[in-house]
Amino acid sequence: MPFPVPAAASLFEVGQSGTIERFTNEYLAGKLLDIGVRPGSRLRVVRKSPFGGSWYVKIDRQCLALRKKELACIMVK
Amino acid sequence: MHNGQIKATPVVGLVGNPNSGKSSLFNVLTGLRQRIGNFPGVTVEKKAGMLRLPGLPVVELIDFPGAYSCYPTSLDERLVVQELTNPEGDLFPDAILYVADITKLDKHLLLFTQLRDLDLPMVLVLNMADRMDKDGLTVDIPKLSKQLDVPVVPVSSRDHRGITELKESITGLLLDPGHYRPRQAFYEPGAGTRDVLAELRLELPARNDYHALLLTHHAPWLRHIAEPTRHRVQQARVRHGFHSLRAQVEETMDRYNTFEPIVRGAVRHAGDATSFSDRIDRVVTHPIFGPILFVAIMLLLFQALFAWASVPMDLIELTFGTLGESIRNTLSEGWFTDLLVDGIIAGLGGVLVFLPQIAILFFFIAILEEVGYLARAAYLFDSLMQRFGLNGRSVVALISGHACAIPAIMSTRTIANWKERLLTILVTPLTSCSARIPVYVILISFAVPPVVYLDGLIGLQGLAFAGLYFLGIAGAMLSALAFKFLLNTPERSFLMLELPEYRVPVWRNVGTTVWQKSKTFVLEAGKIIMIISIVLWAASTYGPADEMAAAEAEVMERAGTQELSNEETANLLASERLEASYAGHLGKFIEPVIRPLGYDWKMGIALLTSFAAREVFVGTMATIYSVGSSDDEFRIRERLAEERNPITGEPVYNRATAWSLLIFYVFAMMCMSTLAVTKRETNGWKWPIVQFTFMTAIAYLGAMIVYQLLA
Repeated sequence: MPFPVPAAASLFEVGQSGTIERFTNEYLAGKLLDIGVRPGSRLRVVRKSPFGGSWYVKIDRQCLALRKKELACIMVK
Repeated sequence: MHNGQIKATPVVGLVGNPNSGKSSLFNVLTGLRQRIGNFPGVTVEKKAGMLRLPGLPVVELIDFPGAYSCYPTSLDERLVVQELTNPEGDLFPDAILYVADITKLDKHLLLFTQLRDLDLPMVLVLNMADRMDKDGLTVDIPKLSKQLDVPVVPVSSRDHRGITELKESITGLLLDPGHYRPRQAFYEPGAGTRDVLAELRLELPARNDYHALLLTHHAPWLRHIAEPTRHRVQQARVRHGFHSLRAQVEETMDRYNTFEPIVRGAVRHAGDATSFSDRIDRVVTHPIFGPILFVAIMLLLFQALFAWASVPMDLIELTFGTLGESIRNTLSEGWFTDLLVDGIIAGLGGVLVFLPQIAILFFFIAILEEVGYLARAAYLFDSLMQRFGLNGRSVVALISGHACAIPAIMSTRTIANWKERLLTILVTPLTSCSARIPVYVILISFAVPPVVYLDGLIGLQGLAFAGLYFLGIAGAMLSALAFKFLLNTPERSFLMLELPEYRVPVWRNVGTTVWQKSKTFVLEAGKIIMIISIVLWAASTYGPADEMAAAEAEVMERAGTQELSNEETANLLASERLEASYAGHLGKFIEPVIRPLGYDWKMGIALLTSFAAREVFVGTMATIYSVGSSDDEFRIRERLAEERNPITGEPVYNRATAWSLLIFYVFAMMCMSTLAVTKRETNGWKWPIVQFTFMTAIAYLGAMIVYQLLA
């Protein structure tokens, strides 16, 4: 179930997905845009790592490992 | 600049995103004619190769590090921006081959449009074109070429399609660069940047507006910007309220909006290309099975490393031993023969004996990398490693370190964050490498009684052995934790790791990696080992002339009175000469320092020589205790057990001394080659000195505490 209002992707559970709306940290935004993560992309949390700090996410067709604090700056709805 | 004249050695740059298969293409184009070095002033690996093309002088092909955009976050990326914004630099390319993964054009064209706007003549190379038939992927090449206004060449470094066409287009690019220049920019700087640009445009050494914009963004760190210019840029940025990050985000979004429709119009994906990788990842990156599989793979790797390397290692030792023997038998006796045999040939053998393990280790790591597994391992362990100030990628180095710290340290280049990479380099040698094994084997028998439980299934000595390995790992992680708090760097840490699709390895790449790493090791570390072993040879062969003569005379006298055999006499002579030699003097000199650890001067010599390489310990012990041959570890063990303290008559090698020595060998930085590699990888003497100091300090304190508690 996508959140009705934009929420940080770090609040997502495994299997949840949504569309990226904006970033809340400019520095991370620049880096995320560079690797192809941008507003309008579909984001899905595929699984979490054994110690929980890094998550396996799928953005459009690309698989990425992002840290939880990196996901915290991605607003998804 | 590009006026139709060809330089004596034209430079062609390979540029592209990480994981675009750039290096793979570089290997196909240059074969083994590669030179690996560092880019000037930074610790980023520079790969250059020669390319011969008909009708052209020899072309230098440079494999630039992978970069996502002109807004760098890692050292690698900075280097790309630095060189491509400096038309006066030696590495500024006359032409660019921009490599993009054909399946990821929607992401890989960002940097392409940026470089295009820098007015660099370029060809767009679509790598992995072999995916076109398999995955139902179709790309309208002519349409793409027309809309991007650049020649587009689909190639595959797997089945070598398109390589001929690519070479032809390189020739075209160099002969007529003007023809390949862009007619129209992809991006026009927005309102927020126009004012600052208007002021700085003529001030800056820029070729066009976009070049000026990049210089405005990056002037604070670019090396080729003069200090006064940097200052003026800074003032103009403040005056016009230029916000670098905001301008970057705006530009990037604008670029995506420009090229995305072009890609959508030319590329068709049919079916779900990644479902196969997804299925594998369900197991490989599973929170429980993932780590189990990782441990299994590592155990297999170790097994292979020890099993496969032992035969070639024995062969190398045998070859050098035989070579030394035959030279000694052929040449007349004298210092030159001694130097050649005991110094140079022994030293050379000491270098080359590591080669099989290094080659096998890199063979496995290259395969794991090619397949795409290393990224998964980094993902699995990133959060654990983070707590210790390391990166997920450090796992690879820490595991490899159990074979040999040298290739392990070289493998840290994949860690983009400098602090995390440095920490990994500093602590990796604490993991117990294979050179410690002979030392452990000999000393454990003095430290631990041969007690076995459960019908010999579990032995106390075996447990101690495993404990030493665990101690090394714990030491490495805790040291990393300490350094994490001691070191401060402004560079931010990212994971943001791409998990590429699983692929069958390209064997050519595996072979090239093994060859390059082995060559680097022999040439770089080899030099240092050679020098040290020559110095060691000299120090243990020569001594003050009168003392050496006295020692010889005494041996002759004892040989006469005690009726020693020829062999016994030779052994005694070697032992007495060592005591009288400079090395012997040094051993006596440092005796007060090592006394609190429970060591005498003989152990002191073994310790000192071990600082060149740990495995020297056994050989030195053999010489000191005049066993003659070091082949038989058990004979040394018996001899050590007989050694008595001349004053008290107690055995010298008791539980306390043995444990003290063991602890010392677990922690001490006793490997010249590792220090040499650390120096090379960190570009200076500072970090190898820090590494040597902290490891040896832990070793000293640890050994002292253990000895004082047990004695």
